[in-house]
Amino acid sequence: MKGSVIKYERDNIDTDVILPGPYLKIHDYNELAKHAMEGIDKDFHKKVKPGDFIVAGRNFGCGSSREHAPIALSYSGIKAVIAISFARIFYRNAVDGAFLLPIEVEEDTYRDISEGDQLEIDTSKNEIRNLTKNKTYKMKPFPELIGKIIAAGGLFNYKA
Amino acid sequence: MSKTLIEKIWDSHTVVDEGNGRSLLYVDRHLVHEVTSPQAFDGLRANKRKVRRTDLTFATMDHNVPTSNRSLPIVDQTSAMQVKALEKNCKEFGIELFDMNSPNQGIVHVIGPELGITLPGTTIVCGDSHTSTHGAFGALAFGIGTSDVEHVLATQCIWMEKPKTFEIRVEGKRKNPHTITAKDIILSIIRRIGTAGGTGTAFEYRGEAISDLSMEQRMTICNMSIEGGARAGLIAPDKKTFDYLRGRRYVPENYDKLVEYWEENLKTDSNARFDKSFTLHVDDIAPQVSWGTNPAMTVDVTGKVPFPDEYAKGNIEEEKAATKALQYMGLKPGTLVTEIELDRVFIGSCTNSRLEDLTEAAKVVKGKKVSSKIRAMIVPGSQHVKKQAEELSLDKIFKDAGFEWRESGCSMCLGMNPDILAAGERCASTSNRNFEGRQGAGGRTHLVSPVMAAAAAIEGHFVDVRELDLN
Repeated sequence: MKGSVIKYERDNIDTDVILPGPYLKIHDYNELAKHAMEGIDKDFHKKVKPGDFIVAGRNFGCGSSREHAPIALSYSGIKAVIAISFARIFYRNAVDGAFLLPIEVEEDTYRDISEGDQLEIDTSKNEIRNLTKNKTYKMKPFPELIGKIIAAGGLFNYKA
Repeated sequence: MSKTLIEKIWDSHTVVDEGNGRSLLYVDRHLVHEVTSPQAFDGLRANKRKVRRTDLTFATMDHNVPTSNRSLPIVDQTSAMQVKALEKNCKEFGIELFDMNSPNQGIVHVIGPELGITLPGTTIVCGDSHTSTHGAFGALAFGIGTSDVEHVLATQCIWMEKPKTFEIRVEGKRKNPHTITAKDIILSIIRRIGTAGGTGTAFEYRGEAISDLSMEQRMTICNMSIEGGARAGLIAPDKKTFDYLRGRRYVPENYDKLVEYWEENLKTDSNARFDKSFTLHVDDIAPQVSWGTNPAMTVDVTGKVPFPDEYAKGNIEEEKAATKALQYMGLKPGTLVTEIELDRVFIGSCTNSRLEDLTEAAKVVKGKKVSSKIRAMIVPGSQHVKKQAEELSLDKIFKDAGFEWRESGCSMCLGMNPDILAAGERCASTSNRNFEGRQGAGGRTHLVSPVMAAAAAIEGHFVDVRELDLN
């Protein structure tokens, strides 16, 4: 998959800023998407394009277990979040409903990727190609359970 | 082979072990609330599935319910719809529901233990990250998302990666347990290990200072495990645990037999090894106050708001985060914590809304008045807590002082109901998260213990509760 980068240079982007509490009452996923990242970036819904990737620092998705967070990002068009690390509930929620890929990378990779870079993610080779900078990075392989749920297309298609 | 308590509970609930940490676990108790369940029930309906174990599934409404007069209809239409949806879903699928008018209603993590639904050695899940609270009873309890909620409703099982084990030793004796509370212990731990310190692990809290805690205090500790990055945190059950649960409504009839089994089996073997370990000595810790926008950004009440470079100790990302946090919080580095002026005080949430929290806060408040600048509210964790507090006339102490005395629910912890901060308002809160906008867009949250919050309400700013005569 190919897309361009929206970068947040910060750690601990929590689910309260990804999808603030008052919107947890919304049932329609496209409506939820209009409020994605509203807690730290009011313009997100205007700038995001289908196929984009978010790049961020450590512990992305910490806090509340709300699946609304990956859903809001997914329905905004985000196909993957690339971060140094993820909080585990968000990590799992992202793949359970096949909402987006949570991809962990080394800190150097996170630093090297800039806002607007065109990336191509190849999970079969655990590689991320930066087409803008003509570089290739390694992504950390998914743990076995996560990889299998992703391959199945979500939790309800997964069979051991 | 020697095992930790976490491993023992994990192994005894494994239905399928696929290797490489991939396990299908049986779930003993599933707690459901109105916010993370509607899509799960929709999924069941769409696939013509039933709830597999209605007898192990319990529901309540807590997140978005108003904490004002319960005899009136819910004004907010989207909240009303979510509450109605839960009523309809529970009726259709045959799940016991503690609705807004039930004497058992309350925050899901307060009522689980209170009703004896939470039991030692069990696996518990709920679509809420603070499910770790139930670990106080020696249960392995995980917060999950809505897809997993649907999976558990349909199968009573959950696919999980086996967590690493992380021993949190808490040693020593607190000088005064009325001023240095469980909240100060857990904030001190998170401050040291960081918000991601426990990622991929489950905590076992051990040591003298943990044994000394009451069950309600242990719940405060386990509750905030998720704030240290761990999905679960538990404490081996002991006599206090068994005494707390005895006679509660949903506890099984053969309780004494169970206690015998629990005493025998629910402990970490003496030579078992943990993957990680951390020790906190509590002898000299001070009351804690958060200054920033995550729970690790915390200082002693005697301290100052830190300078970003001093806080970050050379870590550029941390320095940037601290600068942003200070900007959001509207604080100047170097300001004494005790000089921070407040607008609001919130005593409540699944962290600190139980009877003991209110009893301790009432000792500070008794005979005094809330500062004229402050709007202060008490939101008991459940209807039972509210009733017990009223039997002790705590409501009178709080109301006489000028606190609002409200109905039970999550309330201002997460700003889903009308109880929110206005932009720029500063709040001393006994809740668990000081994230940006958590208590309302632009709201500024300082996490503290119930006694610290109560004292701040009286004075209008933070005070060191060790200077008060509390015992």
